[in-house]
Amino acid sequence: MTTDVLQPVTTQPAEETSSDEKAERPRWRPTRGHLIAAAALIGLAALPIPFGDFGFFVGQYALIYAIIGLSVVVVTGYAGLISLMPYSFAGIGAIIVGVALGSWGWPFWLALPLGAVATVPISILVGISSVRLKGLYLAIATLTFSNALGETFFKWDAATGGAAGWVVERPIVGPIDFSSDISFYVLCLVAVGLLVWMVEGLRTSRTGRAMLAVKDNELEAQALGINVYRTKLVAFVLSGLIAGFGGGLLALLLITVTPSAFQSPLAEATSILLVTLVAIGGMDRAIGPLFGAVALVIQQQVFQGAEFFFAFVGIYAAVVLIVFMMFRPGGIVQAGKRLVEVTKARPALGLAIWAFVLITNVGGAWLFLALS
Amino acid sequence: MSLLRTRDISIHFGGIAALDEVDLSIEAGEIVGILGPNGAGKSTLFNVISGFLKPAHGRILYMEEEITHLLPYERVGIGLGRTFQHVRLFRNLTVYENLLAAQHRHLSSGSFAAMLRLPGWRRDEDQAHARVEQILDVVNLRPWRDARPGELSYGTTRFLELAAVLSIKPKVLLLDEPASGIQQKEVEALGPLLKQIRDETGVAILLIEHDMGLLLKTSERIYALDFGKIIAEGTPDEVTANDQVLESYLGRTRRKSTATA
Repeated sequence: MTTDVLQPVTTQPAEETSSDEKAERPRWRPTRGHLIAAAALIGLAALPIPFGDFGFFVGQYALIYAIIGLSVVVVTGYAGLISLMPYSFAGIGAIIVGVALGSWGWPFWLALPLGAVATVPISILVGISSVRLKGLYLAIATLTFSNALGETFFKWDAATGGAAGWVVERPIVGPIDFSSDISFYVLCLVAVGLLVWMVEGLRTSRTGRAMLAVKDNELEAQALGINVYRTKLVAFVLSGLIAGFGGGLLALLLITVTPSAFQSPLAEATSILLVTLVAIGGMDRAIGPLFGAVALVIQQQVFQGAEFFFAFVGIYAAVVLIVFMMFRPGGIVQAGKRLVEVTKARPALGLAIWAFVLITNVGGAWLFLALS
Repeated sequence: MSLLRTRDISIHFGGIAALDEVDLSIEAGEIVGILGPNGAGKSTLFNVISGFLKPAHGRILYMEEEITHLLPYERVGIGLGRTFQHVRLFRNLTVYENLLAAQHRHLSSGSFAAMLRLPGWRRDEDQAHARVEQILDVVNLRPWRDARPGELSYGTTRFLELAAVLSIKPKVLLLDEPASGIQQKEVEALGPLLKQIRDETGVAILLIEHDMGLLLKTSERIYALDFGKIIAEGTPDEVTANDQVLESYLGRTRRKSTATA
């Protein structure tokens, strides 16, 4: 490359062009990403139907895990901060929604945002105290925070309702009664769709790019004028808000919210499972957790009856995580993209892989039906 | 009034003075070179000016205002840009995304605006993408638009880095060995290019360079640095004629060659 072409880099201020650009910008048209997202949503809406009420119940779990998983996408997938406490943030949301609905008698549309916002002080605390930590050390610090929350907030009877917890009622909005699993499933689906859209939007923004930049190279990020400290804090806060909202939905799903699920070691175990499912699904795209959650929750349900359930899920999660980290760091999202490429280049091989994936999944679903 | 000035900058690493009472200044639109052997403290000086290192003593003045306490990103915010001796860039982002990330300073919309696709976000994105498209053409990086820095030649990554740092529209640009690792042909074009950038933008350039030809041809004024001290200052001719400079630069190699002989 010759250098003399570099010259006017500097001179052209884009202010003048932006107004022209705006006029030229084509009208909104669905991209392939939009179509895939729409297809995924429709597919997800239909997925539990063959399995009846039980399918919808399991589906709600998967969707709520996907929402909490989205919090991992923001903080770990985008900003590169390994946080092993998403389930603790969800717990804060769940407990606060529990107390707001079950004790104070708030309407749900006020309680859910409160559950999300209640995470902010903790997010900021975690953010400030761990902003200089990275990788393994940050992971350990967040585990410690998770443990500390389990010993303090989640053992505070006045807030958590003690061992009995809080009993909440699902709302009735106009003609829709969310106490039915189908309508609540659809509510969760709408929430997931909205949040995936929001988190994907974050990716293509000043803040989202700053997060990706900070993950990639903190020094270079600073050299380009990015406030690394603030970017990390924003990542923690946004992540906490999403997890807290997911926790609120979890409270509505469970109806009885007890704090024991958010104490050691269940909270840490579930958090790690959540991070794992996001890693399996794909960390750097908002749609990733959805794939991961569906895959993981189906696996959980398939092996639910088995005695070795807990051991299995742990081992399974670890093995799958390692395999994915080694061969497909982008998770299912990346693997799917790659598979499309392979199919284009070598149709026979590609179709064989598609067939294999389909057969194993249909087989899994059959096993799921046979066992349940 | 100088645009940027350091006063009595000192910094020590384990008892060794990396910088010792360094005073230098640069005027708007000036190209100033920094000459010195390896370990003279040149990169340390850049790290202090750009805020990556805190000096033990001394002050940094920018447009007569003290900026010693400002963080690196805040210094970028007031118009101090820098490149690194080893090209950094964002290795996992494409050329396009690298340039997009460099637009950060010119954008203002927040994360909620983006999540809800508010008009402020739309305006920011339009502006950022339009600028990057323009820069891609100007720096002729369009063929590598979707490549990652690792797939480019080292010389090309240097130009990408230069394009990225110029995207922040700095008033002072600190270039740390921009010619290192690039082909001789590109080195020769770099001098006129830097002057052209200066002429068209009025940016002041502080240049560290090991390629003596480039440094002497491009700089209007030179500071010679050795053992963290400024030992000479003046035009390229004055500095290269200075005894102390000859001693530190050429004398050392002479001594070395006699020692090995």
